[in-house]
Amino acid sequence: MAGDGTGGSGSQVALVTGGYDHTIKLWQAHSGVCLRTMQHPDSQVNDLEINPNSQMVAACGYQHIRMYDLASANPDPVMNFEGVIKNVSRVGFQENGQWMYTGGEDCTARIWDLRAGRPFQCQQIFQVPAPVNAVVLHPDQSQIMVGGQSGIIHIWDLKTDHNEQLIPEAESSIQDIAIDPEGKMMAAVNNKGNCYVWSLGGSPPRPVPRKHLRAHDKYALRCKFSPDSTMLVTTSGDCSARVWRTSDWTLMRELRHETQRWVWDAAFTLDSRYLFTGSSDSYARLWDLEKGTLEREYCGHQKPITALAFRDQAV
Amino acid sequence: MATYDNKAWLLKSVRDAFIATDDTGLCDIVMAGEDFSKIFQNKAIEEKRRERDKVLYQPSTSKGKESGTDEEDDRELVTQFDPYPDMDDSEEDEPCPSYPRMPDEFLPVHRQKLTIDKKEQDLKKAARIKVIKWEDPQSQLTPEQMAEVFAKIDIKKPETKKSLLSEQLENCPDLPHRQYLDYAKFDGTAQLGLPTKSFKIFMTMLPEKYQNYPVVICVIASAKIKDLIGFTCYKYSIEHPDIALGSVQNYGLFIVEDDGEVDLAFPCLDRNEPCSKFGFTCLGLVDLKKRDTAVMACPIPDFDMHSAFQCFPKVSVSGQSNANTSRLHTGDSDTTEVLRAMNSVIDGNKGFGFQSGAVADASQDKLYRVQLLHKVRANTPVQLGITLDTIEVVPLVPNKHAFWARPKYFLHSMNSVAWCQILEEKSNKTTFRIVYSPNHDATFSDRNTGNVNVYSPNTTYKKHDFEGEHEIAKTIVDNVNTILDLRNSPCRREYKTVKEKKLQTRRSFHTRHLS
Repeated sequence: MAGDGTGGSGSQVALVTGGYDHTIKLWQAHSGVCLRTMQHPDSQVNDLEINPNSQMVAACGYQHIRMYDLASANPDPVMNFEGVIKNVSRVGFQENGQWMYTGGEDCTARIWDLRAGRPFQCQQIFQVPAPVNAVVLHPDQSQIMVGGQSGIIHIWDLKTDHNEQLIPEAESSIQDIAIDPEGKMMAAVNNKGNCYVWSLGGSPPRPVPRKHLRAHDKYALRCKFSPDSTMLVTTSGDCSARVWRTSDWTLMRELRHETQRWVWDAAFTLDSRYLFTGSSDSYARLWDLEKGTLEREYCGHQKPITALAFRDQAV
Repeated sequence: MATYDNKAWLLKSVRDAFIATDDTGLCDIVMAGEDFSKIFQNKAIEEKRRERDKVLYQPSTSKGKESGTDEEDDRELVTQFDPYPDMDDSEEDEPCPSYPRMPDEFLPVHRQKLTIDKKEQDLKKAARIKVIKWEDPQSQLTPEQMAEVFAKIDIKKPETKKSLLSEQLENCPDLPHRQYLDYAKFDGTAQLGLPTKSFKIFMTMLPEKYQNYPVVICVIASAKIKDLIGFTCYKYSIEHPDIALGSVQNYGLFIVEDDGEVDLAFPCLDRNEPCSKFGFTCLGLVDLKKRDTAVMACPIPDFDMHSAFQCFPKVSVSGQSNANTSRLHTGDSDTTEVLRAMNSVIDGNKGFGFQSGAVADASQDKLYRVQLLHKVRANTPVQLGITLDTIEVVPLVPNKHAFWARPKYFLHSMNSVAWCQILEEKSNKTTFRIVYSPNHDATFSDRNTGNVNVYSPNTTYKKHDFEGEHEIAKTIVDNVNTILDLRNSPCRREYKTVKEKKLQTRRSFHTRHLS
């Protein structure tokens, strides 16, 4: 089944999950069947990101960022980025795939040059005072938001190498940052379960505090905007994922399941109709957000799922 | 030549290779201070000095013998510790010299091989992975370069798109395999590093046209039989979504022949046992409900359940040690053993039908007096007790004084007995053998320490040889074989297979050599 391309490059729909069992699984999203299992040696998977041309998935873990070929049946990575001495917590790509950004416990955010035949190297390193938990690229591709244990969000301007800081809440750590696809809102969640939202719309695009949400009672883990910017999902150690309307910041759905435990990651479908979540109970789930129903479950991991990546295709 | 037959060099290179390739650093610790190339060099110098002294005091001794040369006067002294003990031979011989005093533990061959194999695999794997090391930025990029790579782009307002996934979801509303989804985690093909086990499973509960080919199922070795059933349903319903399967609870796994025929003489595998425990790879999925009704329709012929209970009214429990009731049986009386066997037949193994008088006879508890043969010691008289469940060897003359000659007591579960046959008919006695496998019966094996290992290296088979009157020996062998055939335990099947294989290799060996 792995060779028929149903989850690889043939169809551009790809769901990838990874976690504590040191494996990365590629799923046929609509049937829930696991197509392939890839090896992620010696480390849990902290984050997954599919590259812009959907050929590869990047997985970051302890000391490594590994790239796996989604189209082949190779269970091993094809590329291995080394030289970071601690956990790499986030990975992402520039929209043309020219460079990759990472952030990690070594208190840095990095830009990795991915261009072939480069006349000059563009790798950059950005040092912050505390371990980095969250890194996100502004959709305009020129700024990177770096958040971490200190509770500070650094807005790093890549072109000028200048940075600004935001401190939404004292004595807390930033767990995740998200910017909506239109580049108008930024959200960050922290270990207290709070979610802060800023407007980025102004010119120059300076963040203006917009909303404070008591998103969860416990540790928040992730936040993500839907492709149509109408929803924000926050996931948490309280075993739920919550979907908020960005129009009035009211709770639209609470996604719970009796066996679901910590919800580590989430991803929307292109039409913002469905949401994937990955949980410590080793299941990934697909929810219909309009109906609030559980549509699919993805079973196969032996241990908690801590990261997932989804690439949809427009029709 | 120097690259191969220089002992010191070889030692050093092997040592260095070990230290260099061992990521764990263990080799470094283990070998610290044990640089044999250096030790040998020093020893060579010492030995030379000693030999020279010897020559001085005992001119008649030919010290050169050791190094295989007679020209002791012309040559420099050579010792076993020298890198080149014998120049002449080493020129012609194979490139790898032997190390006469190499300590075994220094480099066990298997470890060397393992390390090399693993290293090779890792190297091959690593060769396919492109490694990109982080390089710190060399110099500040020019503003032009910055503008090129980190250009700010205009954000287009994302248009609302239809998702391919949504479409796919609509096209396949419900999936039959979802009811078995929980079993998906036992998929052996999706594991890297975990031990797995593969089975050929015949879907005997389906209409005949679907039964021709077995489904090959690979599960993780720790999966229980019920998980194997569930995963088989999961796998099958993915591949054949049009065929409706029932609840996992209703199915049982039976041993089948290679052609898919279910062996009804044996009960279905225990649902709660891990599948790694069973040696069979050919299994059949059977609908227990249908099977039960089939069994109900044909009652067990020779035994009526009520009378079966009535004919064993008393469970014999005497004042003796109750650790092992089977030791208390006397003569031909009906006993708990048979009762237990009957119960197990009635309770669990519903398809277990007694059909002939021979079986009924064999199921009777019997005691025989025979001689247990020993390899070195004299034979000992024993009482051989045979029941449906056990074979018991009770020494009749307990020798309490000499512990080394004390006859042992054995109790083997019938499930662990693999074979029974007559070995030789002598003028007045017949010798016969019972082969058993301690592996197959954990509950009994701890009590038994046995004889020599006879057969397969995977399963240990041990044997008892006995000698008895012609008639008694024959009866015992017949009885045991009837019971063994009746039970057809995994142990017996495996033993038979091993035996057949042996026979085949022997045959093919003969034919090869004859032709």
